[in-house]
Parts: sequence; structure tokens; C-alpha cells
Amino acid sequence: MSHHHPRPRMVATPAEYMAELQAMTRRQFLGNSAWGIGGIALAAMMGSEKSAHAKAVSLPPAGSPIDPLMVRAPHFAARAKRVIFIHLAGAPSQHELFDWKPALVRHNGQPCPDELLKGEHFAFIKGHPTLLGTPYKFARYGRSGQELSELIPHLASVADDLCIVKSCTTEQFNHAPAQLLLHTGDPRFGGASMGSWLTYGLGSEASELPGFVVLVSGDKTPDAGKSVWGSGFLPGAFQGVQCRASGDPVLYVQNPEGVDRAARRRMLDALQDLNSMAAASAADPETDARIAQYELAFRMQASVPDAMDIAHEDAATLEAYGATPGKASFANNCLLARRLSERGVRFVQLFDWGWDAHGTNATDDIHTQLPKKCKESDRPVAALINDLRQRGLLDETLIVWGGEFGRTPMAEFRDGKKDFFGRDHHPHCFTVLLAGGGCNAGTTYGETDELGCRVVRDPVPVKDLQATILHLLGLDHRRLAYRHAGLERHLTGVTPDARVHSGLIA
Amino acid sequence: MLVACAGIILVGMAMVAPPQRVDDAADAMIAERAHDILVSRCLRCHGGVREQAGLNLAWRDRALQTRAKGPPAIIPGNAAASALLTRVMHTDPELRMPAEAPALSADEVATLRAWIDAGAVYPVLWSLRPIAEQMPAPGPESMWNTDGIDRAVSLRLASAGIPLPAEAAPESLVRRAALDITGLPPDAALVSAYVADPSPAQWERTVDALLASPAFGERWARVWLDLARYADTKGYEKDARRDVWRFRDWLIDAWNSDMPYDQFTERLIAGDLLPGATENDRIATTFHRLTLTNDEGGTDNEEFRVAAVMDRSVTTWLAWMGTSMQCVQCHAHPYDTIDHRDYYTSLAYFNQTADTDREDDSPLLHVAWERGTTTVPVMQELPANEQRATNVFTRGNWRALGDAVAPGTPACFPPQGTQHADRLGLAQWIMDPANPRAARVEANRIWETIFGRGLVETLEDFGEAGARPSDVVLLDVVASRLQKLGWSRKALIGEIIKSRTYRMSAQPSDAALRIDPENRMMSRAPRFRLEAEAIRDQSLAVAGILDRTMHGPPVFPHQPDGTWMVVYSGDGWTTSEGGDRYRRAVYTFWRRSSPHPSLMNFDAVSRETCTVRRIRTNTPLAALAAMNDPTFVEAAAAFAQRAIDATPGASDAERARWMLSAALVRTPRHEECARLAQLVAGERAAATTATQPTSELSVWSAAAATIMNLDEFLSRT
Repeated sequence: MSHHHPRPRMVATPAEYMAELQAMTRRQFLGNSAWGIGGIALAAMMGSEKSAHAKAVSLPPAGSPIDPLMVRAPHFAARAKRVIFIHLAGAPSQHELFDWKPALVRHNGQPCPDELLKGEHFAFIKGHPTLLGTPYKFARYGRSGQELSELIPHLASVADDLCIVKSCTTEQFNHAPAQLLLHTGDPRFGGASMGSWLTYGLGSEASELPGFVVLVSGDKTPDAGKSVWGSGFLPGAFQGVQCRASGDPVLYVQNPEGVDRAARRRMLDALQDLNSMAAASAADPETDARIAQYELAFRMQASVPDAMDIAHEDAATLEAYGATPGKASFANNCLLARRLSERGVRFVQLFDWGWDAHGTNATDDIHTQLPKKCKESDRPVAALINDLRQRGLLDETLIVWGGEFGRTPMAEFRDGKKDFFGRDHHPHCFTVLLAGGGCNAGTTYGETDELGCRVVRDPVPVKDLQATILHLLGLDHRRLAYRHAGLERHLTGVTPDARVHSGLIA
Repeated sequence: MLVACAGIILVGMAMVAPPQRVDDAADAMIAERAHDILVSRCLRCHGGVREQAGLNLAWRDRALQTRAKGPPAIIPGNAAASALLTRVMHTDPELRMPAEAPALSADEVATLRAWIDAGAVYPVLWSLRPIAEQMPAPGPESMWNTDGIDRAVSLRLASAGIPLPAEAAPESLVRRAALDITGLPPDAALVSAYVADPSPAQWERTVDALLASPAFGERWARVWLDLARYADTKGYEKDARRDVWRFRDWLIDAWNSDMPYDQFTERLIAGDLLPGATENDRIATTFHRLTLTNDEGGTDNEEFRVAAVMDRSVTTWLAWMGTSMQCVQCHAHPYDTIDHRDYYTSLAYFNQTADTDREDDSPLLHVAWERGTTTVPVMQELPANEQRATNVFTRGNWRALGDAVAPGTPACFPPQGTQHADRLGLAQWIMDPANPRAARVEANRIWETIFGRGLVETLEDFGEAGARPSDVVLLDVVASRLQKLGWSRKALIGEIIKSRTYRMSAQPSDAALRIDPENRMMSRAPRFRLEAEAIRDQSLAVAGILDRTMHGPPVFPHQPDGTWMVVYSGDGWTTSEGGDRYRRAVYTFWRRSSPHPSLMNFDAVSRETCTVRRIRTNTPLAALAAMNDPTFVEAAAAFAQRAIDATPGASDAERARWMLSAALVRTPRHEECARLAQLVAGERAAATTATQPTSELSVWSAAAATIMNLDEFLSRT
């Protein structure tokens, strides 16, 4: 099936946008004789023997007549077709993993220099804090000689695939607003998330799956709730769809007890016939949209469980990821991310809870909890990179790995207790990894000062990171716009100061 | 300086040149067109956000200023010397404006030239002009002459050459009105009474009966629950529960008792400041305590107190005035003449309450009810000696304090009268008859709630960048009726629904499809999918299992296990027992971080911020919910049982006829009954080969589910 590829509109009102999608559909329908063939294929796929379904030939083979996820061309040639965004919720410590600071280790336990505290506000640190050097060893890995910690040996094995951005900065130091800023470009609620923006701009190639899928591990949703994958002011069709490891993989995808697939097909045949009878008398094109919507739902009932079922992956693959069929885990989610990506899902967002290592007890410190989280996540992420490469998908799939902010070079010692070690929230610098998708693999970008407190070279504010991700997807962050409430909204904010960092691009 | 002419008003500024007297309708038209060019082609860079090269064309006085970087953009009366004109005509592509965009057309340039030569008078924004009071002239058909709505619509259709549409079938009309007024399908008796006597008098009685139903308040409260960002939790990380259902009940009751919109407004914004404020007046102020509270450890309470205060101001402007203030937090409005400072003068009205983002949500009001007492967070003014200073935040940063400001409203709106500089004064200023915006915004919202699309499509933006009304005469008819009816919204809804316009058929004529494909002229009744709440409520009602109990704490209908997974919270969803499972959707527990997924699949909103408009989408997820959500599955089974009980001994086609008629509120066609009977026969045939015996109930449940997923059933037709 060939598609016309009109550019995304620069600024669209919802009505204009929907009207354009309708117009695109009409153009496709009228200008593409292959459509009819697809329609016949659809009728065959429905397993219908009845001539009444000859009418269904007029339906688009994938998506409804106003399918908001219809594929659209980018603004310019894209380096990546899709994104896997791995969010370590709670914010992993860059000091323990990526940003090796010998001076911080040397000054471990000493009072923090006053100049680092001037004008500072902390979430939890009270009084004058002491510096905390990392207890972990660092070494250089790969041909690129990237410096990584002993906590992440598998990531170290793919060091040449990583673009390590040590100079990310944010404006927020509480979890919920910082997560919202990272994903929606606005620390307040109501913004549209990155996956929504990308499916709004580009549609999705996965015709029988949601274009924006969310996978959660660690038993918790992010602090900011489902708004971090919400569509905000964009139409609801662009919101992320959470796929789950237990229960229905997508809510309501399973037929109720006593209704098998054949029964559902019989019901849908009757439904579509009755809808067609009504459409013939009411002449409402919306009825055709409704018919297509239900057919797509029926196909999703098969395609979603199939995409979400890792039981048929070979043993070597399961082993590489450390995935266990039937279990809810970060490892399974990484494997699912690959399955969804190879089926054309535009944006896969992983959330993994448990990285908020303040050091108030053994379940949130850098000696016990952080190594545990690293053990859970290190191997699957490396396996994902290797797996995508082996399947020829790494070049066109951008992986983003990171938290919502960084962690302080100082120990927190909440309430003065020094039994456990951890770090407070830190907005001034944090590390994000990129892999695949045209990123500048095998390089480290940006630099922090000798205590790892502030960025001294190539700062990458969150909005720059967003602009660069959009750029890799072939989208100009200023042209990807939506008019809402009198404002031209962008993922990167209302003001035009975000910039694309060419140093992050291969 | 206001200069009225030919129905268009222009504003001129006296500071540079004497105001131009615009005596000519043509000049006024040119001014409108010239200003539209500025808004669509220039303000993106030379407006309140970016002010590139120090130029802001949104304000006339600023456009006329001498600038450091060159001559004034606009010299009234002298287009040839005005930089605006020389730059849009420049031959050097580096210098030609708009930058990096197509050049203006010759026609657009000519418009700008003529406008500047005529004095460059900025037109007053349509939404700020006085509301036209006069009744439109009578049209050609007497049936369409009784009220202003029908006159406006019929004149427009006649002048476009579209025949006036026929009336819809009586039974369809009753279903339409019942869904629009009560969010529920009509009782059979109401339908049969009108079908037996489809007279204007009987229509009035039908509409009045629906308006008198307590279900009216439950349906219309929904609109204001979205505006109020009503939820049963506090938001942010912990998203803990909060008892605010008394406010939801207050809203329902306010609609049912038809509280006039001016009183409604005063109570929501400042009920606590009313002389002799009652308990109910204080409960109304929970409206602005529905802002988020951040219980996350390590948060700065002042930061989130300020965030809540900002949200109150922004919500007030958005809900009542159709103005987005949010953007003005950091800079002047990009398109409208609202300055950065105006954000903070508006904020100052809300900065004097005692709440401070505390975990206990104090101040609280203790309210007795039938099962004990409950507490609701309310607005409470600080004593005079503890009042806060309000400062401008430099570039919106709450720690970077600029000038102190006093409460005030932007100069582009009508001036302040004698109102006090507090929340009550603000509410009274909004509702002052001199402010045309409030009536237009609310009238438009009522129109949108009934017809699915506002006369101004952008409910959230009545400013320069928002949509223009599809019919400015019609909008003013409705807005002026709202004012003249003493702000009675129930009466206005009644007038709209009693109109001939409302009663038109959804079937478009050929001329209507050709001339008015988007139906902006009301050439046919709009047909659109019902809102999330109505989809659930209608299914339960048709099934006969809807529990009509009103009011009280929120309830927990079926929700898939594992939907709630919230950080640092052990809170869980325990499905309600008995009738509470089948209450109207308005009573469903609303968790901000995780609203009920079935409602969300039908475009409900998370209610973290004020939502003015839900955008309808058709996704496969909605279809999956309608087919597989246990609530809908149970409704289908109950509807099947109801049909079996109501039609003992009937043939399959007869029973199918009964079901289609009960659900769709119309006479089914023969082939529809036959097709449904065919499905039932197929189910029985499948059952004979199945390993498990299949009952008549499950056979008919398939038929019921089919009907309850029909496009017609899910739509307002």
C-alpha cells in the first residue's frame, strides 16, 4: 500500500487537523487503485463469505477514514523512524554510573564548598552537606574508550554504540514536575507528551497496534501519573497506550468470558451490516468511520496479544535479555520494546520505578538498591541494543535512556542519620544515553566541573534534548506545532530558544 | 477612543496622531483585513512573545513607536514611509518580511497600504464589542420567525440558497432532547406522548419535563466539573484522596435550581466573601481549592501554593472569559493586548487566601450530612494584617520578584467600576453587563454542549488568534438572551431546544451538502458521538440497571485490576457493591493520575487543569471498551434479560424489533430486525456445536451488545 505523504501542518486547530486527515484519506482513496485491492484483502481477512461484505471493500485496509495515525512524511530526511525512550523514574545517579570525578572521591566526607551552595535549594538536604565520592570503580571500554562504572558491565560492552550526554540540565528538582518537563516540555500538567507529538507529526506504521505504547515496571506508574504519556491539548487519539504484562495486555482487548473470536466476528458482522443499513439512510460518513474503528479494534484483539507474547522468542534471546515469559519485569519490557518497534510502533516508552536513591534506608541507597536496579536493567538494555543491531533496526531506532534529573555530589543524610548513603535531587546536571537512530555513537558529549556539580561545557537543557530527538526523527521542533488556547504550542515550549545539538548526531 | 460606524467599532490611540474618524464601512473592512494579516503573518515574531527587532505589532501604540533599530513600523497616514510596508515589499529576500515565510500577496500589501494611509486604526476585537441587542429581521417562513435563533439561522440558510430543513421525526427529537438535557435516554411515556401529539405545545411540555428532571443537573454539572478540574484526589506524586464531593453535589444542585449565572459566578469565585455567606456559599468556593496539592516529600510549599494561585487566576480567565492567561506568566500575550504585568495584577486577586499547599488541605469547612460529617477545602481570605504582597515574577520565575502590583484587569477589557479589589469584585466585574465577553463565552459553551460545536469553535480562545464566530448574529442573539433571561441558563437551554432550529432533521439536503459541507450554517442537525459519561449512562439506563441515587461520596464501578499503580501510595480500588456499581458516571471516583480508563477511552479528561473542551476521537480503544468493559458486558446481559422478560413467546424478529426500538427510540426497519434475528439464529447454531450449553440469555446478550455498539446508539442524532 502506498501512501501520500503530506507534511504535518505547522499550526493546526483540532478541526483543521481532523479535516486535513479526512482530506488525505479522500486523496488516498480516490488516487490509489490499490486501495480496492486492500479492501478485498480486508474482506478476506475478516473471514466473511457474505456478499454484503463486498461493500466493505470501500474501507481503507488499515485505519479508519479519519485515521489520526495515518503515516505522514517528516519535514526533512529522518535519521530515525522510531523511538524507544527508557525512563529510569526517580532519577539514577550519574555519579555512580557515568560521571567519574576523582576529585569528588578525594574530598569524600568533606564539607561541601560554600560556592556550590550559594542560592541553592534542595529537596531534602538540610544544613551544610558533605561531599560524597562514588564507591564504584570506573574504566574505559570499547574502541571509543568511553568511561563507565563497574555497575553496568553489559552497557560497557556496547560502549561504542552509546552517545553519553553528561551535560543535561533541567529546571525542576521535584519528581512530578521534572518528569512532566522531560516528557511534555512543561512542568505543569496539560502538555502533550513526546510520543503524542511524534504520532501527531508522523502517524504510525503499526496499523494494528497503538502508535505510542507505554510499558511500566517496578510496580508503580511515574510520579506525575499517566500525564507523562498523556496527549494533553492534542487529541486523545495520540495519547500513549499502556500495555501490561498481566491481565489484558491492553485494557479491554480481551473478549468477555463466553465470547470467543468467532462469536465476536459474528457480532461484528451483524454490527457492520446494521451500521451500513443506517448509513445508507442517514448518509453520514461518520458511520463509515465507526465501521472501520470496530474492524481495527477486532484486528487489535489479535495483534496486541501476539505482539505482547514473548513465549515464542527463542531461548537465546530470552537469555540475552534475562526475560521470563509471563512475568512483569523491566527485562520483559525491553524485549517487548523490540517486538513493538519491529512492528512499526512509533514511540515505545518504558518506565522503570526504583531509582530514587536518597539513602534513607537499604531500599533507596547507593550500596544496595542502586546495584540491584543496575543488575535488573543493565543486561536487558544492552541486549536490546544488540538485538536491534542484529535485526538491522538499530540505525533507524533511537534509544534514549535517562532519568528526570541528576543527583547531588553531596550525601543527603536525611534527618542527620548516616547509616546509609544516597544523594538528593539535582537539576544542574545529569547524564542521558542515546543509542542507534543516527546518534553520534561512541562519543561523550558535554562536561561537568571537577565535583560533578554543574555543566562547564555544552549544556543540553531538556528542551534541547527534545529538539534534537525531534530532529533525528526528521522534524523541526519549531514547525511541529499545534495551536491551543491562543498559543502556538511546541514540545520545546512557546519561546524559540531550544536548539539542536549537532554534536549528538552522527 | 471608540468610534462606531457601520456596525464595526475601531479604536484609535491619541498619543501620536489624532484619532482617525472612520466614516466609511469600507475603511472599517480594510482595518479588519489588515489586522487579520498582522495576526496571521506578523505577530508570531513581532508579537508579545518574541518582539523581534524590538517590534510588537499587537499593540497600536507600540507599532507606532520610534525604535532604536529603525523608523516606526507604522506611520499613520503615510504608508510609503512606514517600515512595515517597505519591509513586506523589499526585493532583498534577506530583508523581506515575513522572514523565512512566503511573501504577502499583492492584495495583502495593498490592504496594508490602504489601511496605514487611512490612519492605521486598530479594530476592536469582535468579542469585546457590545452585544447586538436587536432581533434579526423576520425571514420568509413564519415557522422560523418566532425567535431570534430561528430568524438568524433561516435568514442565513435562505441567503445561501439552502432550503430550510425539515423537522426530525418526533421520537428522534425526544431522544435527542433527553440526551442533550439529561444525558439519559427518554422514558417511554415521554416519547409516546409526543409521538401521539407532535404539536408545539406538547414539545414545550416535553422539554419542560426534561428540564425539571434532576438528571438535568447531573448532565450539565459535567461541563463545569471539567472546568473546575474536579477530581477526588490531590494530584502530583502521592495523589492522595480528598473529600470534595460536596462541591460536585453543589454544582448539580446549582444547575437543577437554576441558580442565575451571575450568582453562580460570584459563589464559585468568592462565595466566602459574600455578605452573610452561608455554608453552601462556602462549599461553592471549593471550586478554586480543586487545584493540585503536592504532598511529595521535599517540595517547597510556597512554590506549590504559588502554582495553585496561578492556576486559580488562569482557570478564571479561561472558564469565564475565554482567554488564555497561562502564556502571560512569562511574557506579554503573543496575539492579544495583554501585558506580562497583567498576569500578576490578575493573580493579585487570588493571592490572599489562607491555604498554603499543606497536606491537610486546610482551611477546611466541616459539613454535616446524613452519614456524619465531611470536610471540604474552601477559600478563606487572610486577615487584613496578614495580606501578602504580589509581585511580578521576572520571566515567570516565582523566586525572581519584580515590581509589586495591586489587583487589576487588563486594559483591553472594560474598565473596573466601583467593585472592591478582591475576588468578589473580580466576579462582579466579570458579570457586569458592560462586559460582553462573559455572556458570549457562556452562551457559546451552552451552544457547544447541545450542538457539539461552538459558534466560536475555540471555546478556549475568544482572542485575536481564536476562531471567529461561524455566525456572529446568532452568537449575539444567544448571548443577549442569556443576559435578558436574568442569566437563567436553564431558560436559555429551554429556548434553544424549543426552537425550530433545534428540531431540524439530521438528514442533509443535497444543497446543504454542497454549499455547507461542514455544517457551519446549521443546515442540518449535527450528529456526533455522545460524551463519555452519556455512553455509560445510556447503556445502563437502556439495560434497566442504572441506579438513579443522587449525591454523596464517589463510587467505584468496575475497573480492570492493576489500573492504579501509584508511587508512595498503598491506595487501591475496591469495586463498589450493589447499586453503587451502576450509578451515573458523574459519581465515579476520579483519580487524577489514573482516571477511569473506560471514560478516558471516550475522551474524558484527567482534570489536572481546567479543560474547556474535549476533543472527540474515534480510536479502536473506545470500541474495545464498549465491547469488553465489564460494565458494558453486564449492561448488554441485563438488556437481553429485560427484552426476554418483556416479550414472552415472541419470535426472534419481534424481540429484535422490541430491542431496537427500546435502544434507538425509533421504529426499526424490517431488514434490521431480520438481520438481528439472523445473528441470534447463528448464535444458537454455534451453541449446538459448543462444548458448553449456551442459554437464551447469552444468545440475546450478543444481540444486545450489537445494538449497544451501533453507531446510531453511540451518537446524538
